[in-house]
Amino acid sequence: MMRRVVPYVAAIAAVAVTTMLIGLEASRAPLANVSMLYLVAVLIVAVAFGRPAAIVASLLAFLSFDWFFVPPTHQLVVANPEELFSLALFLLTAIVTGTLAARERARAQEAKQREREATLLYEAAFLMAEPDLERALAAVAEHLRGALDLDGLAIETDAEILPRPAIAARDEAARLALRGASSELRVLDPHRRGRRIRLIGPRQHSGGRVVRVLPISAAGARIGRMQILRRAGAAELGPSDERLLAIAAAQLGVTIERARFRKEALDTEVLRRADELKTELLHAVSHELRTPLASILASAGSLRQRDVVWTDRDRDEFAMSIQEEALRLDRVVGNLLDLSRIENGSFVPHKTWHDVGALVEDVAGRLRPVTTEHPVRLEVQDDLPPIELDYVEIQQVLSNLVENAAKFSPPGSEIAIRVGRDDGHVRFEVSDRGPGIPAADADRIFVPFVRLSRPGQSARGVGLGLAIAKRLVEAHDGAIWVDREVREGTRMVFTLPVRSDVR
Amino acid sequence: MSVNGPHGEPTGARLLVVDDEPAMIRTLRTNLRGHNFQVETAENAAEAKASYDRRAPDLILLDLNLPDGDGFEVVRHIRERSGTPIIVLSARGGERDKVNALDLGADDYITKPFGIDELLARVRVALRHLARPKAGTERRIHSGELVADLERREVTVGDRAVHLTPTEYDLLKVFLTNPNKVLTDRMLLQQVWGPDYGDESHYLHVYVARLRRKIEDDPQEPKHLVTEPGVGYRFRSEEL
Repeated sequence: MMRRVVPYVAAIAAVAVTTMLIGLEASRAPLANVSMLYLVAVLIVAVAFGRPAAIVASLLAFLSFDWFFVPPTHQLVVANPEELFSLALFLLTAIVTGTLAARERARAQEAKQREREATLLYEAAFLMAEPDLERALAAVAEHLRGALDLDGLAIETDAEILPRPAIAARDEAARLALRGASSELRVLDPHRRGRRIRLIGPRQHSGGRVVRVLPISAAGARIGRMQILRRAGAAELGPSDERLLAIAAAQLGVTIERARFRKEALDTEVLRRADELKTELLHAVSHELRTPLASILASAGSLRQRDVVWTDRDRDEFAMSIQEEALRLDRVVGNLLDLSRIENGSFVPHKTWHDVGALVEDVAGRLRPVTTEHPVRLEVQDDLPPIELDYVEIQQVLSNLVENAAKFSPPGSEIAIRVGRDDGHVRFEVSDRGPGIPAADADRIFVPFVRLSRPGQSARGVGLGLAIAKRLVEAHDGAIWVDREVREGTRMVFTLPVRSDVR
Repeated sequence: MSVNGPHGEPTGARLLVVDDEPAMIRTLRTNLRGHNFQVETAENAAEAKASYDRRAPDLILLDLNLPDGDGFEVVRHIRERSGTPIIVLSARGGERDKVNALDLGADDYITKPFGIDELLARVRVALRHLARPKAGTERRIHSGELVADLERREVTVGDRAVHLTPTEYDLLKVFLTNPNKVLTDRMLLQQVWGPDYGDESHYLHVYVARLRRKIEDDPQEPKHLVTEPGVGYRFRSEEL
């Protein structure tokens, strides 16, 4: 209210001061100079306070001029008709110059506001360029809030794109007020795209503040909202600020839409990759199942052939193929089952106390058929404490590592299994003299169905052994990794914790 | 190849079995030796090429999926040097690999898992091809009721003369000179239509259908022009 009266008070004051100044010099000053002084006053008021004040000043100047200086003074009567004419001329000039000056002022102000708007929007656009939408919107919210001197500003959109609204607030109370308002709105508006958003009135009062909601649209559809929080009773936002908000809302619409497209593209890509992975998996699994089946069928078929009299030795060979390959099938199926069991969370290790040395020797013994082409060296430290572990599962971890070593290293090369103490853990190492694992793949190999193929060598197996090993070791609070220090071959390491009370 | 086995097949032939699965190698070696073949084995492409160069086997059984490189490389290596029959063993699901191997010059394929009798039958057929004088040098070709006189370009089924258009005749001739061999669409198109062809399988299907109507007793259940699904066709000769 006060701000509205100021121009008129100023107009009155300006005319009063001018009248007093002229009054001091009235005896000497010719009337024409007096009128010029009043015009200066009107101009100053016009430039400083705009057109309405200028007009008020013109009228007051006209009246004061007539009352105080045009004979007969202290009457609103003019004796000389010539002076009446110049008085009328004065009024006209005052109003015209006042209006012109005020318009000039308005233009200058407008230009200044436009410049401010342009700067603000440019800065906002710069902030929106940030690729992380959440950060971008938070920055824009704070920027606009500061520029418009708001108590708070929140930007909301589809929860899939932006899980939490981006809120900028002057203080904690404002933040709470906005958060409260937004949750209230969210209940009524599930933010479904393509669905008309029901806006709750333009204003809401909360704690002496006013929330106003501005829709954010893109391509004709409402995709979000901007909420601005202001003190109740604060001056209205000017047209420039309103325009600024509208343009900012439009820019936000484009930004959010772009983020949504990006997310959709990403989702599609993820789906496509998952699909590819599934195809690869099916391919790998079917190959891994069919290969042993082929040997089994060929051997069984051979045994049934009546056109040849098989020697005992021949029969043994066929039977051996059948047995080996059936076991292999069993391992593949077991691995698949293990992984699905571990993945769906139903796996709980059944831990009991075991002697590590016995476990390692057991594994080496069982795997002899797999490691026939490799000398296997066992180095087990003497004074190892017993460990609480699931015997079957840890045996499988070790088997998977040794099988890999046998599979990927050249025949005749040594495989070493070392077990020792390592700072509160027992450390297991399986080393081979194979081609090694590139550093870039050292983590990837633990991902299910990832198989490394080397130049001139096709990928083999299903790619489950290490993925399962990792999960089993982790279920024992241990860790498994590829030792990157090793220059030649591969050294796989896993550790299991030694319980503190037996250390 | 002078001894005749229980099935009348030439035995004593030297076979090279290339597979990276020890169990498969062991089974095939035992079985084929039991059937009086001499068997060499190789577990990877390098060994396969070396063994071929050293021993010059009569026939190669080749798994395409080898650890140190593609089986295709082995096919290429052998075809650069001889026409020794190659039967491809492949557990791969896709037909593409088989077609590629056949286009590179492999003679036949068998998909894993296979019946051992089926494999032996394929081996015998391929070896008989070797024993026969080269097809195409004969002037008259018989297969059951079907008789083709290549000199006079005349084809008869039983007493009935069959009238063929030039393209139909050319296509039939390719089949007759490659009896019991899998021919891929690409091979047939290039031999009949010319080297610029290869992807126009629909031409081929039209002409095969016409030939079947003219030479088969029941075109729906062809006895001679048999489809190899996803790969091509095979002319099944009753003379073998």
